[in-house]
Formats: sequence, structure tokens, C-alpha cells
Amino acid sequence: MVQSKKIFCDITRCIACRTCEIACAVEHSITKDLFLGMLERPRPKKRTFVHFIERDVSRSTACQHCEEPPCMEACMSGCISKDEKTGKVDIDRSRCVGCWMCIMVCPFGIISRDITDKNKALKCDLCPDRESPACVDACPTKTLSYESRDEFLKRIKQAKKVYAHSHKK
Amino acid sequence: MPTHIKNNIYAIIGNSAAGLAAIESIRRVDQSSRIVNISNQPQRPYSRCLLSYYLAGQYDKDILWIRPEDYYKKYDTEVLLNTAVTGADIKNKTLEISGKKKISFDKLLIATGASAKFLNIKGADKKGVFVLRTLEDADGILRMLPNVKNACILGGGLIGLRAAYALKRRGVAVHVIVKSEHIFSQMLDAEAADIMRQHLEVNGIEISTGLEAAEISGKDSVDGVILDDGNRLDCQLIIIGKGVAANLGIVKGQVKTDMGILADERLETDRKDIYAAGDAAQAYDVLEEKNNVNQIWPAAIRQGKIAGLNMAGEEIKYEGSYGTNSLDFFDLAVMSFGVVKPKGGGFEELIALDAKRRLYRKIVVKGERIVGGVLINDVERHGILLHLALQKIDISDIKDILADEYFDFGKVIPLIKRQANLFIRPEYKDTCVTYSPLY
Repeated sequence: MVQSKKIFCDITRCIACRTCEIACAVEHSITKDLFLGMLERPRPKKRTFVHFIERDVSRSTACQHCEEPPCMEACMSGCISKDEKTGKVDIDRSRCVGCWMCIMVCPFGIISRDITDKNKALKCDLCPDRESPACVDACPTKTLSYESRDEFLKRIKQAKKVYAHSHKK
Repeated sequence: MPTHIKNNIYAIIGNSAAGLAAIESIRRVDQSSRIVNISNQPQRPYSRCLLSYYLAGQYDKDILWIRPEDYYKKYDTEVLLNTAVTGADIKNKTLEISGKKKISFDKLLIATGASAKFLNIKGADKKGVFVLRTLEDADGILRMLPNVKNACILGGGLIGLRAAYALKRRGVAVHVIVKSEHIFSQMLDAEAADIMRQHLEVNGIEISTGLEAAEISGKDSVDGVILDDGNRLDCQLIIIGKGVAANLGIVKGQVKTDMGILADERLETDRKDIYAAGDAAQAYDVLEEKNNVNQIWPAAIRQGKIAGLNMAGEEIKYEGSYGTNSLDFFDLAVMSFGVVKPKGGGFEELIALDAKRRLYRKIVVKGERIVGGVLINDVERHGILLHLALQKIDISDIKDILADEYFDFGKVIPLIKRQANLFIRPEYKDTCVTYSPLY
């Protein structure tokens, strides 16, 4: 089985610049422009969040597109689905009634109430119009990556080796 | 893919959340056996939970259909709609359905759901008295609406107040009569209930607590309700929201029941090959730590899914149920889970209240574990707390910030690292592989 791709975050590289948050909101705007987007109503909204773990340690978190999504099980209008091929968890806005059952059960707390735009649930959609999500492309420190779990773990393991090696010197 | 062709007959009574989830999970692991789905509802599957949204006129009827029209074809399932199960012979594994027909089965799922409790007071049989449980109920109320100026809602729980909200949005003057001292007495603590009550009243819904309807007046149709304090309210419509009770009729006396059909870790009843899920079932509640009925959509889906897998021969353990709910009235959201009004010793309540901004967060802790909580307005992190509770995470390291407005998923990362074996979802690990204070 091919592992599905999602957004991973290397906490050691995150400097909490919030570029991911801005890139996300811009990508989901009508004008796709940072400055013009600020004039849009309803305001463009971010779907990824920089969270602090401890002082100076942060990570950017968006929907994890869970293998067994609790939001999908909780949704009482059946508007949340998981694509069996890509693994992507999607909200069908046309069927969302704003009951917030998805928010109620999200283990990561990254679904928002879009109360200024028709009262719909809002979360990361992996930027359907792009090859790689806007947050990943915009991240100036390459903290974020768009890859499969195996690719991510392999890469991190190698990076660790390099780090340990250079440290010994 | 299955390694061998199975040749079972699965009978599933009920085609709401639990029944549908079971069909879907059975078909994931068994594509060859027969599935027969029986429902007393005449329509294709719809979401009861959305009835109040439909009643409010916020959405068309189309929103109710939670599965596509070709659903049964897609899942290769024989469906008997508008069909009552009139008897069940568990020993010989046969069901008797309306028209005296018989259906034999190898495995049975009882997902018969629950029915709205009715009120047995004088005049309750008059025209204009409703519950809100089925599509017929909602359509019946809608047909009456052109002639309704005032409505009385009997009951201050979830359904009662959702119905009140819906009617208010339709321009009806609504008065809610609540027996308890507070609204949402099951779901919320007194403080949260008061915030919600004030919000509902400001938005034009009248609420009286500590009162009960004694009699419904009128000739053939309702023209008012007489309360137990002697006062009378004029109304042309009454909706009873006194909760629901599990539908046990078919199997009562044949399988073990309490408030619901008792289901074990595999969601099997005390009789082999007979399973129960959804509003009709009673399973172990991991937050209340006792057997409990949790008649909510997410529990029904989860139970249906697990029951279906076990019926199809998998060995899947149900992690247990829990109570939780989410409501939104006039743009104010409220959510709660688990124990909200702790009784007895050993509980600790972490509370943050900002009345002006209508922010309320209460987290109930017992033995350094979260067992319940209530959130108003700032609800986005409800799920984080819920999962900390369900996985029985020791939260002593972050207890001082749990109720904080700035609490977010980042604060959970160190706990995942330290209590890795308790965080079961693979996604938890994904979020913290690169986190190490010594990295």
C-alpha cells in the first residue's frame, strides 16, 4: 500500500515566524494576494496554527488527516469523508450545518468555526489547487514538508545521524 | 480482501447511524455474504440530528439524506423499508416482520435506536402536540406552522431547546417550560447553563424553570398549557422534549437489558451472534466508569462500526462509550463531555470564566486525569481535552494551564513524549518525533 502524503513538521527547525499561517490564509483567499486579501470580506482564514510547546520551541499544526478520523465518525450530516487513495480528509461545505461535532472530537484542536462565512467547519484541505500545500512551500526554514510518514521518518533519522556526528567533532 | 468467501446472512435492524456504520464496516471485510437491512422508516437513510436544522428553515430537506440514493446497491444490501420487526426468535435465529414474513439470519445487529419519551398528562392526545424525533414529526410541525403564533416547549434539554431555536427562527414566539432548576441539566453544570439561558433569553426565547405542565387545554386542537403553579400559557403548538428511551421491544426478555441492551466489549449481547449498537445499546462508559447509555451520533457510528467488524469475524475491542455533545444557538457554541457535575469526593474543578466575553471553561479532574469538561464560546480545543480524558492521560504536568485561554495542542506534546504508550493514534507520534528537550 502506498502511504498517503501529509504535512509533517520538524520541530527543531521551527522559529515560530508564522509564515505558514499567512501563506495558508492567502492561498485560501479570493485574490491570493496578502495585501488585497486583507480587504476581502469574509476575511481569508488560516487552517494551520503555530503552537508553542515550551519557550522557544514551537510547531505548526494542521489537520493530520487521521487514519481513522474521529471527525468523520462524529459528523451527523455525513459531510466529512476520507479519500481511500490519497488519505485526505475533506469537509463538503455544501452539507456542513455548523453543528461542530467535528471540533468536539478532533484530537488536535485544529478545526475552526468559520462564523463569518456561512457558519461552516474549516480545516486544512491540503491545497487542492497546488502540487504541494502553500504552508510547506512558504516555510523559510524548511520546517514543513509534504511527504509520506515513512519518507519523513527516514529523513529525520538521517538528519539525526548527521547532527550527532557533527556534535562529536 | 477476504481469503475465503463467507456465506453469512447478516440482519441489521435499523438504518440510522449504527445500522449504516455496520453495513459499511461489514462490507469492508466481507463482500460475499448477504446483508438484510430492515427499517420501520419509510424513507432512505436520514440524519435525525439534522431535523432541527431542517425545522429551522436553515436548510432544505436535501440536507437530511446522509447517504446517496444508490447506497444500498453500492453496499450490496437488501433493504426492507417501512417494515416493522414484529418478533424475534433468538434461539432459532429468525425474525418475523410485518406481513408475517420470516427472515433467518446468522448474525443479528439490533440498532433499533430510541424513541422520544411522551408526556402522559391530560390533553396530551390533542392535535398540535408533537415530539421531534422523526421526519414525520418535523413535517407535521411544519404543516402546522402557518397557524402557530405561540409555541410551548416542554423540556429544557437538547431537543427541547433545539426545537425552540428552530421555531424562533421561523418567527414563532416560544416559551420553554423546564422542570429542573436549570436548562441542559444533563449536559451542563449550573454556571454554564445560566450563561446559555441568558443568551437564549436575550435572543427572544422565553424560559421558565422549576415548572411543569399539568394539563394541555383545547378542544380538538391545543389552545394552551396549564402549568403546575396554576398559570396558563396560550399556544397552538407543543413540542415535548423529555429525552429518549431505547427501543427494546423486539428482544426484551430474550437478551439482557437495563436502560438499553447490554453490550460487551465486542458489542455482542449476552446471546451469541446477537449484537447491539447505537441508541438502543448500553455499553461501558469510560468517563463515568459504569455501564451507560450514551445516545449520541458519534457513539452510534463507532458502535455500529465495531459491531459490524466483529459480526464479520474480526476481533475488535470497543474502547467504550462516553457522553459528549455540541450545540450552537445564535452563534454561541457550547460543548461538554463526561462528568460535568461531579458528585462525591476526589474531584477537582478547574474553572475559567470571563462573563463579559461569555467565555467559560471548566475541566473536571479526578486522580490527575480529566474526566469531564464544559466549554462555552472558545470551543476549538474541546477535542484535545476529550482525548486526554479518553486515553486516561496523567495531566498533572499541565494541570495549571488546562483551563487557560491559551491552552493548545502544543502543550500536549511533552505528554505524548512521556506517556507514549497511552497515546494510541499514530498521528500523535507524527507530531512529536522531532521533539526532544535533549535533541
